[in-house]
Amino acid sequence: MLKQNLILRNPLRQLGYEDDDIIPVGGFGAVLARAGVGKTALLVQFALNTMLRGRRVLHVSLQDPVAKVDLWYRELFRHLAVQYQVGQIRTLWEEILPLRFIMTFKVEGFSAPRLRERLHDLMAQNIFRPDTIILDGLVFDDASPSVLADLKSMSEDLSLRTWFTVHVHRQVQADADGIPKPLLPADDLFDMAMLLVTEGNEMHIRDLKSGRTPSLHPVLILDPATMLIKENVAVAS
Amino acid sequence: MKKDLAKVRNIGISAHIDSGKTTLTERILFYTKRIHAIHEVKGKDGVGATMDSMELERERGITIASAATYCEWNGHEINIIDTPGHVDFTIEVERSLRVLDGAILVLCSVGGVQSQSITVDQQMKRYRVPCMAFINKCDRSGANPKRVVEQLRSKLGHNAVLLQAPIGLESNFAGVIDLIEMRAVYFDGPHGEELRHEDIPDGLLAEVLRLREELIDQASLYSDALTEAILAEKEITPDLIVAGLRNGVLKRRITPVLMGSAYKNKGVQKLLDAVTSLLPCPADVENTALKLDENEAPIILKSTPSEPVVALAFKLEDGPFGQLTYIRVYQGTIAKGTTIVNVRSGRKIKVGRLARMHADQMEDIDAISAGYIGALFGVECASGDTFVSPGLNLAMTSMYVPAPVISLAVVPKDNKAQINMSKALSRFTKEDPTFKCHVDRETNETIIAGMGELHLDVYVERMRREYGAEVATGNPRVAYRETITQRADFNYIHKKQTGGAGQYGRIAGYIEPTSEGDFIFENEIVGGAIPTQYIPACEKGFRQSLEKGPKFEFPITGIKVVINDGAYHAVDSSDMAFQAAARGAFREAYQRARPVVHEPIMKVVVEAPTEFQGPVMALLNQRRGMIVGAQDEGRMCFVEAQVPLAEMFGFSTVLRSATQGKGQFTMEFSLYRQVPNSIAEKIAEEAAARKRNAA
Repeated sequence: MLKQNLILRNPLRQLGYEDDDIIPVGGFGAVLARAGVGKTALLVQFALNTMLRGRRVLHVSLQDPVAKVDLWYRELFRHLAVQYQVGQIRTLWEEILPLRFIMTFKVEGFSAPRLRERLHDLMAQNIFRPDTIILDGLVFDDASPSVLADLKSMSEDLSLRTWFTVHVHRQVQADADGIPKPLLPADDLFDMAMLLVTEGNEMHIRDLKSGRTPSLHPVLILDPATMLIKENVAVAS
Repeated sequence: MKKDLAKVRNIGISAHIDSGKTTLTERILFYTKRIHAIHEVKGKDGVGATMDSMELERERGITIASAATYCEWNGHEINIIDTPGHVDFTIEVERSLRVLDGAILVLCSVGGVQSQSITVDQQMKRYRVPCMAFINKCDRSGANPKRVVEQLRSKLGHNAVLLQAPIGLESNFAGVIDLIEMRAVYFDGPHGEELRHEDIPDGLLAEVLRLREELIDQASLYSDALTEAILAEKEITPDLIVAGLRNGVLKRRITPVLMGSAYKNKGVQKLLDAVTSLLPCPADVENTALKLDENEAPIILKSTPSEPVVALAFKLEDGPFGQLTYIRVYQGTIAKGTTIVNVRSGRKIKVGRLARMHADQMEDIDAISAGYIGALFGVECASGDTFVSPGLNLAMTSMYVPAPVISLAVVPKDNKAQINMSKALSRFTKEDPTFKCHVDRETNETIIAGMGELHLDVYVERMRREYGAEVATGNPRVAYRETITQRADFNYIHKKQTGGAGQYGRIAGYIEPTSEGDFIFENEIVGGAIPTQYIPACEKGFRQSLEKGPKFEFPITGIKVVINDGAYHAVDSSDMAFQAAARGAFREAYQRARPVVHEPIMKVVVEAPTEFQGPVMALLNQRRGMIVGAQDEGRMCFVEAQVPLAEMFGFSTVLRSATQGKGQFTMEFSLYRQVPNSIAEKIAEEAAARKRNAA
């Protein structure tokens, strides 16, 4: 019941996707933003929502240690529970915690085959079989299309949904659809791309792949105080 | 006592067992003229090495408790904390790492980097202790310092930079070549006390030049002056190289490597030179304390003698004249006659006698100022206590003391053992706040409790060795707890009229789970249904019921009791009657409140080479562990998991065999979590069996 409350109130539904997972099995999604805008916060909320629906999430971080990633989850879950006035959060947290596995690599030590090997270890021993992967901190550069292609084949083989954070630099240009340059070479691989932009005191979430022109007044914003996704009341009303 | 802080070094000597750490310390004390004769570690001459002052240490040739001693070299004062090399004594190790500013990592030139060196190194990394390496036993057959340097780089990830090259090896080991000053050094005299400097032997020159180039290359990364001198092709003086190296060492980017043979009296003086020139002084290290008024927020301490005092008691010892407390002063000065406050107890202490320690001998001094290590005499305190000037509220270590999670019954073999055991337990509980003991009222057994299996093992062993208390131990018992999961009402009448004064009391209300504390009692009675004077008796009755659950017999926690109605009798009601009524009411409601058993869950972090990540995860998984994450750090990986304590018995042995001895783990209490039903049934059976046996 508690879980159901949080799931139903999930503002991600406002993005208009019928499927809660947003991307299909084997699919890729990306959250793009400049440094410090809230890419990890957004993806952790996707992950929490996935866990609340009983699906398993593997969070792979190439920048933060396990303890810090864990703290992201704890803090956002606490904010989420406070915002929606859900009681007994400790019980609920204990219930969803086994659905998450954090794996961290040093950027230079990460490769698709290595991740596949680690995943194989986990799955073969029946320790953890993820439904969704959050890949935070992968550097998108000239070498990334081949890494992404490897990851894509892994996602398809293992029936996973994979979300990436994409760091966009201040001076980076975008194409006509608003897709920023780092993603362009591998654009075809992605089913979903969301851009986080700061507008005054708010952070707006723009859906770059819905075919819609990026709106000046998006339906979702990221609350900078709690880093939670919420509806943009001005647009919703 | 010297007053120039730049000339003080607080160092530790860390290594795995049998790499010659205590022998090295002994030689250091000899060359610095603190002792006038050399004794062997194992005590063949019946005296034993000076730093191993405990009986057990001398007998086994290992160091358990860190003794602190000081010596002087080249106008510098060096305080040496002799740290234990055995992994099981980590409380002592971690306490001493907290106190020292730099360390010497002693490695055996034959054995190289072994798993214990990895443990010690990781502890140093955790506390960010700058260190240098000393490759000992270069005279032994099979000595290969080059291989050890490679291992320092590959296994420990150190940027090992050689400051010396050996002249001959194994039985031909004659001395070392100083790569900074570019000359050969030989150690003459019966105890190697006379240094003879010679030109570098011709056959070694090419290799020495190559090594010196490497050394200068590394040092130049941390010194602009050295880089400029290289580019301008000016003379590169030893001072320039040392300054660059020191910068690298302080940042933990360079590990200078020296070599020798402590046993054969070779290379020790050069190591002391390097300690004074390369390791940090107390002012080079940033120390933080915790502000207790601000939720333990960190504050950086100033290592000046004029500031208010902040000092840490890091070790206690029982001497013939009372308790000796080793302290490190981080800020201010503790002088004879000044008043300091023990932050934990709030007790004011007038400082009487101050001493400087040299293993188990002492020397009286007048003051200990910031950056120094000394000992207080006759002060009642526990290890880990912080002393401050009146008015300050800072602590060097967190004041949070976790509750014990494991217990063990100890039974003395005879009367003498009983007396000695009491003495030992009283000492240990003072030394270590996480170690507790009590007497079980039902079985009359002495129960010791602590934070893990090894934790208790060490104390049982120390009881035997240090205090001569022969004790038998029972099986370790996990500290399970019970709690309820739903609200249940009660309405209970206690009525007894079987001769004598009658007893009458009725209590009504409810119990419910709470996460706000172990026990909350609320009185919502209006209109005097139970007179006010009987309310404390009601609370007492409920509290008594919490000591042992009716089914599993574990303490009950996380429960809120609300009483909202009742009745009394003008003649027959009494405190006793209401206590009994409360106990009856609790029994009545408890079963309906769906009680469950909670077990301590430990946060376990296993560190192992990356290739063992799979097996490590499997081990944790088999132990009902929930793996939180895996951190890939290049050669090593860290697997973090939450594992029930009950499943962790014997884990160190299993881990060692699964990782070829290369894995190690840390374990600390994390939280209490509900035991799965299948396990709870087993626990219930065990509880029933215990009950039958006790009967």
